[in-house]
Amino acid sequence: MSVLVVAEHLRGELRPVTLELVTAAKELGGPVAVAVVAKDPSALADAVNVEGVDEILAVAVDQEEFENDVYEQALEQLLSERDFDVVLLGFTVNSMGYGPALAAKLGLGFASDVFAVRDDGGLVATRAFYGSKVQAELEFPGHDRVLLLLRPTAWAPAEGAGAASTTDVSVSISGSRARHKDYVEAATGDVDITSADFLLSVGRGIGDKENIPQFEELAGKMGATLSVSRPLVDQGWIPSSRQVGQSGKTVKPKVYLALGISGAVQHLAGMKTSGTIIAVNSDPEAAIFNVAHYGAVADLFEVAEELEKLY
Amino acid sequence: MKIVVAVKQVAALGDEVEFTEDERDVDPDYLDFALNEWDTYATEEALRLCEASGDGEVVIVSVGDEDAEDAMRRCLAMGADRGIRIESEERLDPIQVARALAEVVQAESPDLVFAGVQSADAVQAATGTALAELLGLPRVAVVTKMELGDGKATVNRELEGGLVDVLEVETPALLTIQTGINEPRYATLRAIKQAEEKEIDVRQPSDLGTPAYEVTKMFVPPKGEGAEMLNGSAADVAQRIKEIVEECTA
Amino acid sequence: MARDPKYDILFEPIQLGPKTMKNRFYQIPHCNGFGSEKPMSQAYFRAMKAEGGYGACCTEYCSIHPESDDTHRVSARLWDDDDVKNLGLMCDMLHDHGALAAAELWYGGPHAPCMESRAVPRGPSQIPSDFEHLTYAKEMDKDDIREVQGFYVEAAKRARDAGFDIVYVYGSHSYLPQQFLTPYYNKRTDEYGGSLENRARFWRETIEQVKAAVGDDCAIAVRMSTDMFMGEAGTQLERDCLPFVQLVDDIVDVWDINVSGISEWGEDATPSRFYPSGRLLPWQKAVKDVSKKPVLGVGRFTSPDLMLEAINGGSLDIIATCRPSISDPFLPLKIDEGRLDDIRECIGCNICISRWEIGGPPLICTQNATAGEEYRRGWHPEKFDPATNADNDVLVVGAGPAGMECAMVLGKRGMRRVHLVEAADDMGGIMRWIPQLPGLGEWARVVNYRKIQIDKLKNVEFIPNTELDADGVRSYGAEIVVVATGGYWATDGLNGATHDTIPGADASKPNILTPEQIMRDGKEVPGNRVVIIDNDGYYMGVSLAEKLAMDGKQVTIMTHLGHIAPYMDFTLEGPNMHRRLHQLKVEIVTHQVPTQIANGGLTSAYAYDEEHLTEWEADAVVLVTQRRSNEALYRELKDKIGAAALQSEGITGFYRIGDCEAPRLTADCVFSGHRLAREIDSDNPDVPLPFKRERAVVEREAVLA
Repeated sequence: MSVLVVAEHLRGELRPVTLELVTAAKELGGPVAVAVVAKDPSALADAVNVEGVDEILAVAVDQEEFENDVYEQALEQLLSERDFDVVLLGFTVNSMGYGPALAAKLGLGFASDVFAVRDDGGLVATRAFYGSKVQAELEFPGHDRVLLLLRPTAWAPAEGAGAASTTDVSVSISGSRARHKDYVEAATGDVDITSADFLLSVGRGIGDKENIPQFEELAGKMGATLSVSRPLVDQGWIPSSRQVGQSGKTVKPKVYLALGISGAVQHLAGMKTSGTIIAVNSDPEAAIFNVAHYGAVADLFEVAEELEKLY
Repeated sequence: MKIVVAVKQVAALGDEVEFTEDERDVDPDYLDFALNEWDTYATEEALRLCEASGDGEVVIVSVGDEDAEDAMRRCLAMGADRGIRIESEERLDPIQVARALAEVVQAESPDLVFAGVQSADAVQAATGTALAELLGLPRVAVVTKMELGDGKATVNRELEGGLVDVLEVETPALLTIQTGINEPRYATLRAIKQAEEKEIDVRQPSDLGTPAYEVTKMFVPPKGEGAEMLNGSAADVAQRIKEIVEECTA
Repeated sequence: MARDPKYDILFEPIQLGPKTMKNRFYQIPHCNGFGSEKPMSQAYFRAMKAEGGYGACCTEYCSIHPESDDTHRVSARLWDDDDVKNLGLMCDMLHDHGALAAAELWYGGPHAPCMESRAVPRGPSQIPSDFEHLTYAKEMDKDDIREVQGFYVEAAKRARDAGFDIVYVYGSHSYLPQQFLTPYYNKRTDEYGGSLENRARFWRETIEQVKAAVGDDCAIAVRMSTDMFMGEAGTQLERDCLPFVQLVDDIVDVWDINVSGISEWGEDATPSRFYPSGRLLPWQKAVKDVSKKPVLGVGRFTSPDLMLEAINGGSLDIIATCRPSISDPFLPLKIDEGRLDDIRECIGCNICISRWEIGGPPLICTQNATAGEEYRRGWHPEKFDPATNADNDVLVVGAGPAGMECAMVLGKRGMRRVHLVEAADDMGGIMRWIPQLPGLGEWARVVNYRKIQIDKLKNVEFIPNTELDADGVRSYGAEIVVVATGGYWATDGLNGATHDTIPGADASKPNILTPEQIMRDGKEVPGNRVVIIDNDGYYMGVSLAEKLAMDGKQVTIMTHLGHIAPYMDFTLEGPNMHRRLHQLKVEIVTHQVPTQIANGGLTSAYAYDEEHLTEWEADAVVLVTQRRSNEALYRELKDKIGAAALQSEGITGFYRIGDCEAPRLTADCVFSGHRLAREIDSDNPDVPLPFKRERAVVEREAVLA
């Protein structure tokens, strides 16, 4: 199965999801090419030249940053010249802007937020349905080419030095109707825990209201947003905008780090579909360990102290 | 000004689940239905733009069976003017939905087309962009702000990590709308009652084409062995946590 | 939904003497105000818990003889065959649901003032009760001891005949058997006093006699206080309790373990303000470590995980609940069905207990408006008849406790659409800021439970950030309108003592504040010296005193009454509240009536001599004088617009509930919303339907004939 990975980059830097796509591509067993669509593809070529990549397709375009018409046209032309069974994109905001368009235009097989793939005599992809409660296997009868958007972090990034050849591919972009103008950094302002990628969540285990600033600081250092379980809000220690749970907010961050939260049903309902759940609690029977991916039976203050040293 | 908003009645599962006999979908008895959360923001945005322009029409389109009209009526209760439902008993993939919508939307000649970024049940984030392609419209996905101009609009696209990409897009265009772009209005009981009287036109879909995928089986994921326990000293645990966090938020 | 297998142990049967209890959920003896003389209310109340899955339900303390008469407080009674009939109904109804019935045989000794029977109680020594100051007991000689033990035996037989499966020889918190055990009560020098063996003798003999009389048919339960926290004078765990357990373990079938004495029994029936759930576990474990028999006990358990921990950790064999069974009789069933988020958790406010302490009224519950209404109003906490006028849309204005409850019950009764509209950004009303007072965090469960329930109801929609004026209400499109706009604390010092405002009281000034200005609006409390004027008498004044003292202010709390926060004595929060205020150096001033508030201070007069004035320095004065209804919206709709005009807009029903009608306890606000919703389809929902009263009705002719 020949696979084309489309590299994703931002402001001159390769985005890590690209190398995750390479790992997934390798699982399918066939030749792997990586398309770099950029103003200066050679600047990114080294970064994508990892073990397992056979060929780098350098597609030069006028635009510095991502524009969806550009990528669609570039890929359409690439796919008309070259044969690939599978095209892999990350399930990212960029891909949402052109992947489905490409699939609709070329009549490709299509699925997004896929987190497992295999070649079972034909491509089989696994994704979730109904808000992650169930999963399904998909096949693509009637399609000799399939476009998939793969879930970031579902695969480890590929490493090691590669020996890929680089081919320059020229494309002719007829126009870009949605044009990048500027980037603006994220505003701080009102905390919305539902949009955070990383939540550091504390519960009754922190003991006292006076301890909250310490965890707020730690969250800041770790790049996390502080959230809490209900008892802290009930006590008036912190505003309800930070509350995770059935009577608070439902969150689904990439990482949910729970310190001193036992895992009451109402709390779990608000966070159990988070990407990766790490729980620290001194009680080995704490219910949170049932939904956590990683757990540590430890004193949360000791762990917090050690984390502070690392950041 | 005419804005078409594509909406979806999404299905939610409780804690219990049974599958259909062929094990390719969930038994509908276990599903609860509601308007897709993203679509309330999209509808609100459309209503605001029309109100600002002084005269406008917001048309709700959706692909689904008769029950899907419940979701559409919520948008009509917010203030949308009328609806068009494209009949479909089955659950279609996003490209098929786009094909089903395209003919109807094209016929409306809208100034703008909105869709939600994604649906809460399928989370494909594809229908809007695919529809834009079939309509030949410029598009931007994941819009968090928009300002209309003459023949173009300035929109914000929200990237991972919160970085905002400011773009200029030619109009008419299709935009997929992100939650939080506005505060959707609530419908009073009066508006809900009035919405019952608003027109929902039913059409049959044309050719939906080859499905983009086929579900061969659906299942409850196995529970797994539970958490991987991190052992050692607090320092060891902290180190491992840092590594896991870095892997997962890269 | 299915039960999580980790809770399986809670559903395993257990042997209690000759009886088998079907699971580990036990409703511990507790009062409800019904006794043996309101047998229908009693039976329906207890049976509701059995229907909800409890494996055993108990009477309240059950008097064995007219000498043990606690009037004005209501106990059950097993004095004669008519009492047997009345309590027998409770046994039958419990048995119908597969639950065991338990009678807590009680003799109060000097604690029982006998205000109805006018009998004379007997006790180990003649010292007035620490609980009922005017009551003395006859000091028992050996004949008295035999006689009273005989009362226990006869009452046990009556209990058996009524159908009870479990019979208690009840001691805690300090009733007769425990009085003999405890030096504080027992100054005897004969073989019933002095050494532990002697002090234990009365209790041991009584258990033996009761067991001999009914032990083949009934399980013998002993309820004791392990430690009265009174030092050497009281019962002590190591010195008295554990040896006693070992002494009689062979003849006891189940232990019911408490702590504390009677005058501060809030150390046992712990308010959430001062103690978390499971406070008694260490003492319960101490008993379980030395006993071979099943041990049960309370701890305000609402969390199934804590219950598991109690059993798996070896502290208890059986989870007993009192207050959590009042707030949710269906707790066991909800755990069994995996519906943990439907559990209506006790908030530990002790309003239920306060009714018993006052003496006479039936119990009420802040969380469960149906508590006590099972018979007299026919309300079932989990069943709601579809409303006959369900084909109507309802607008509820205000999502405080009354509004939330009303919307929730209307939703459960199937009203077509219910819109719960709230001006603030979230549900809760006053229950959003009251739980932020020190220690009251668990009171937020009132909101959390209703939020979750309303979220599940498809026909109820919550609409925040929307303040409706009269026109907004008229044009909203509802056929039924319920105004639930709450109340506010008076800003002018209006109060029940003088029935007047306080000159100079004006909360628009920066140095004069009301509770919600401080807690909800964040108004700054200026300076350092604060004087709180408290005419309320419940928790608001002292809670603010605690909070402001914790914030570093110098606080004086002033009341016209002779005692601060008297209602908190009824909720058992009084003693620790006093300790807390003392610790925080809050100055308590009684019998003072403010006469003038000026800049920098206030003047007050002694309640019994208006010439006797005192000047107080104060940077800030907090007015906790009285509450008023927020009735402006209601008045405009009713008076200015009028029912006829509303009718012409399609509004056929127009009501108000909760504080906006008259300020009241949160429990009564919840009741208010609940009642309206239950009766929304009656002929005139404004007027509560008559409730059943259990009383004797004479046949006049027969009497006079």
